[in-house]
Amino acid sequence: MRKGPSFHLPALRGLVFEMIEIKALASSSKGNCYRVTDGKTQLLLECGIPFKEIQKGLGFKVSEIAGCLISHEHQDHCKAVAEIIRAGIETYMSFGTIELLELKEKGLCGHRVNVLKSKRQLTIGTWTILPFDTEHDSVEPLGFLLSNQVGEKLLYATDTYYIKYRFQGLTHIMLEVNYSLDILRSNVESGTVDHVLKNRTLRSHMNLENAKELLKANDLSKVQQIWLLHLSEKNSDEKRFKREIMELTGKPTFIAGAN
Amino acid sequence: MATATAEKTNGQVKTNALVKKDVVDIVAARIRVLQEKNELHLPPNYSAENALKAAWLALQEVTDKDGRRALDVCDRTSIMNSLLKMVIQGLNPAKNQCYFVVFGTKLVLMRSYFGSIHVAKSVDERIEDIVADVVYEGDEFEYEKLRGKTRIITHKQKLENIEKAKIKAAYATVIYKDGRDESVIMTIDEIKQAWKQSNIHPIDDKGNIKLGTVHDKFMAEMAKKSVINRICKPIFNGSDDSNIVAWYARQTDGDLVEAEVEEEIAEKANQELIDVEVEAIDSEESEALPEPQKQAAQNKKQPDAQGTIFSPTGTEGPGF
Repeated sequence: MRKGPSFHLPALRGLVFEMIEIKALASSSKGNCYRVTDGKTQLLLECGIPFKEIQKGLGFKVSEIAGCLISHEHQDHCKAVAEIIRAGIETYMSFGTIELLELKEKGLCGHRVNVLKSKRQLTIGTWTILPFDTEHDSVEPLGFLLSNQVGEKLLYATDTYYIKYRFQGLTHIMLEVNYSLDILRSNVESGTVDHVLKNRTLRSHMNLENAKELLKANDLSKVQQIWLLHLSEKNSDEKRFKREIMELTGKPTFIAGAN
Repeated sequence: MATATAEKTNGQVKTNALVKKDVVDIVAARIRVLQEKNELHLPPNYSAENALKAAWLALQEVTDKDGRRALDVCDRTSIMNSLLKMVIQGLNPAKNQCYFVVFGTKLVLMRSYFGSIHVAKSVDERIEDIVADVVYEGDEFEYEKLRGKTRIITHKQKLENIEKAKIKAAYATVIYKDGRDESVIMTIDEIKQAWKQSNIHPIDDKGNIKLGTVHDKFMAEMAKKSVINRICKPIFNGSDDSNIVAWYARQTDGDLVEAEVEEEIAEKANQELIDVEVEAIDSEESEALPEPQKQAAQNKKQPDAQGTIFSPTGTEGPGF
């Protein structure tokens, strides 16, 4: 698994300390898990890989995680939720997600499960987090806008075919770029992908074309890093996506996880 | 994407509508070539020429949602593709088997349920017919399920049952030439769920059908349409890629989804500006807040009236 780029970049850029550090433990339809820290409070975004891999990815320092935010109930985003709760980590997700995961029925809905509601912000340590509703084939999916005390702002959005909202002052963007329409179309033509899957993908995942529109619609002047998440195995092209997003934005762009 | 934009620009610059020879004659020529090469076999009772003439006539009347003529706003490629897909599936708008809808600058071919039945019959030659009906409250309706297949045993209806507010379900039945039959049943909830996907948005946030919509006025017909589409889908999807008609039937459905999604995104994406409210947060207070709330919630252990089990954000929310 790839380490966050801030390990390789100078910590000092101008007069501003680059605080946010992103590490992708996994990023694909097989599993998603990211660690995000501002140097003070460590958060997990998703826990969609086996708990052992999370432990390993965090250098066996799971207890340092202040909270785990879960976007929706699909297994590639929350596979390890039971172990995370049992490990004593606070989890945060929508009521719809809690219901679908049957956490109450499994006796896991005790003190480590916190309900998120779109556009109602909360604080975890040094982070102020604004969840917002996203567009996916699940019950109550969320994306997150995370802001820290030094004024950095991270947008995290995955498994959404578009976002209703715009944001300001973003410094870090973690955005799903699942597929490109032309690759998906040609895979349907060649029979690699069937029409049913194509239709579902269109209504549940962000493509390169719409990701570009999203980036154009938002003020990127303060953006330091763009991370592309959740690339489809069949319908994406890592090098091309990275190149096109860098060409459009002029910002350092990273592909999360090893696909 | 780049091509579409270029065509869009062309379409806007062009003030004169497309003329027949620019479009229909080219499609007709393409079809003749396909037939001569033996790549396309149209049913003997189908005249591509007549269907194209009917389509051209129909297209004169098609407008987008702002009332602009399809032939003025749609790009030529999408018009030609719609016509080509119509002919390959053996459809004719004069027989109410298909119609055309404008999405942005794209023309999209859509099948009516007569069209879907027609295509299903040509994809699977064992099919004699496909029928559909609606079940009302008070109807005598019995069905059985055997090895994953549904068979309707009886459906007896009284005239006084027929009232749109009393629709409980709809079903469609494929009747095969050898006498077998197989059905699909959709409850009204499942039908409404399918309607939620419709670009007309006939269902409101509370899950009710909006008054005055086509789904409200012709509820039984629209329910039949949904269940016929449901039963036809596996027929189109089940056949292999060598069946060109089935492939184009799937492609037609896919075009619609693509156009609907594109329209939805253009309309709704990247609109409202939202942000965290940093001033409102007193870090000490907000960090301290979750504890008592969690305690309270642990005592409750049941969702409260708002449906929240408990919330760390509680009352300190910025009040969006």
